[in-house]
Amino acid sequence: MNWALFNTEIFYFCAAVVFLVLAMLRQTGHRTSYHTALFLAALGVVVCIGTLHLDGLLFLESYRIDLFSQVCKALLAMGLLLVVCLCSELEGVAAEWHNEFYMLLFTCTLAMMLLVSSVHMITIYVSLELSSYTLYVMVALRRDKVTGTKAALKYFLVGVVASAVMLFGLALLYAACGATYLTDLVRLLPPLLNRPLVMTALLLTLCGFFFKLAVFPFHFWAPDVYAGAPNQLAAYIATASKVAAIAILMRVTAVAGDATGFLVDSLVVVAIVSMTVGNLVALVQKDLKRLLAYSSIAHAGYVLIGILSLTPAGYSGALFYALALVVMKFTCFLVVIKVADDGRNIDLDQLAGLHRRAPLLAMALMLAVFGLAGIPPTVGFTAKLLVFNAAMQNGYLTLILIAMFNVVISLYYYLLIVKAAYLTEPAAEPAPMPVSGPVKGLVFALVGTMLVTGIAPHYLIELARRATRVLF
Amino acid sequence: MVPFGHVLILAGSLFLLGLFCAVTRRNLIMILLGVEIMLNATAIVFVGGSLLWQQMEGQAVTLFILAIAAAEVSVGLALIVSIYRRTGSVDPHQLVEYE
Repeated sequence: MNWALFNTEIFYFCAAVVFLVLAMLRQTGHRTSYHTALFLAALGVVVCIGTLHLDGLLFLESYRIDLFSQVCKALLAMGLLLVVCLCSELEGVAAEWHNEFYMLLFTCTLAMMLLVSSVHMITIYVSLELSSYTLYVMVALRRDKVTGTKAALKYFLVGVVASAVMLFGLALLYAACGATYLTDLVRLLPPLLNRPLVMTALLLTLCGFFFKLAVFPFHFWAPDVYAGAPNQLAAYIATASKVAAIAILMRVTAVAGDATGFLVDSLVVVAIVSMTVGNLVALVQKDLKRLLAYSSIAHAGYVLIGILSLTPAGYSGALFYALALVVMKFTCFLVVIKVADDGRNIDLDQLAGLHRRAPLLAMALMLAVFGLAGIPPTVGFTAKLLVFNAAMQNGYLTLILIAMFNVVISLYYYLLIVKAAYLTEPAAEPAPMPVSGPVKGLVFALVGTMLVTGIAPHYLIELARRATRVLF
Repeated sequence: MVPFGHVLILAGSLFLLGLFCAVTRRNLIMILLGVEIMLNATAIVFVGGSLLWQQMEGQAVTLFILAIAAAEVSVGLALIVSIYRRTGSVDPHQLVEYE
């Protein structure tokens, strides 16, 4: 067995062990933990990019390393690095739990990396559960214990029911085909797709991934968890966790092949309801994190449009969309975390006067929000264009029209954010908000990424295309 | 040998019972028990499928399910104890009202 293929995962495992040891020693200050985490996360990105072109199978062929999994791992590593960058003032978590928080963060990233490489029922289930359990515990680490634990409990209850339903679906699939490898299912499943047992099995299986991605009917945990979790963790759930969910959803739907009427129909329904519910409820939200939660439910709907095309174009569009979501959502959360300097939740009104307090943050927030709304020349527009274009080639005109209506609805609340930051006058004369040098650099890098990948996305589109080609 | 249809009927009804328990009960511990019943129903399908196809893979999956169910209960009970200490209640409806 070739252990070199497993380098990335081993690295993240060791990083988690480092924090386990630090947590048990109980002697490090939170600055030391922060710098260690930053160093390890940055090193992790280097390791991921270094292993980008590995290819092979591990553990009795239940674990596949290919370009698709490695690109997703690189995205996850970058998501982790960005989130760790924001942890310099980890005010939402009590100081004595910082090492535990980082340990769980690295373990969760490890689990998601395992997830995007899984091609066997056991590996999928185990890594999905590992990533969920670490998230439940991290949500409960919030300094305000009652809020945190309640959010964690809600997340946990929805999560375990969803994963039990998914596991029952997998069991029915096994009963129908006698295969546990995705590669075998690809071969055995298409002729059986019209049997009711297999239809139910596939739908139940998808429920677990719907929960991870926060789409209807498993979306209602998202607003409470975003509001109840420490702000940095909410950023992590909104970015890295979504990448993993999108990736595994692509791997699993690719199994069904292309001749699947009912699967596509049910995905269409789920996508439409998620978009509409997310956007309509977001209109009335006052809490900024809740608003972002509903917007991510809506975005999950747009991503599903790409996935339900079941074509290489749709899949590469969805992967590109995942990248765009990481950058845009992360920029929004960066502003939330900097404005809420003591780790509280903030309302839209509290953004008032942001353009005078911190012009750079206000500008970044505006660009990110325009990206989420899909306004050119940001990366959000390119992502939406790719996804809608792929669905258009399959002739889903009505679906695209409904999605376009949704984009128009979403424009309203995205512009409310911009209005709060730029036009609303604060009650008192605003104190200028200091933005440290590294944060400035980070903001410039994010803004640069949003604009450059929006204007010249060819390299990334080509990479997404090559990565998703291995799924077919 | 038991016909596979019977296995599916048993597992399906057990799964629905568990789901019903998880959705309707007003006690967090009973909800957790309901989820455990759902997982056991799944294990029955895997073992039955393993018999049907004459493979060991289904039984291997069942072992993993048992281990993960234990982990799940430990995380869940820890959360329940933590919330009980702070609010003195294990009723999910009261927790919502507590806000």
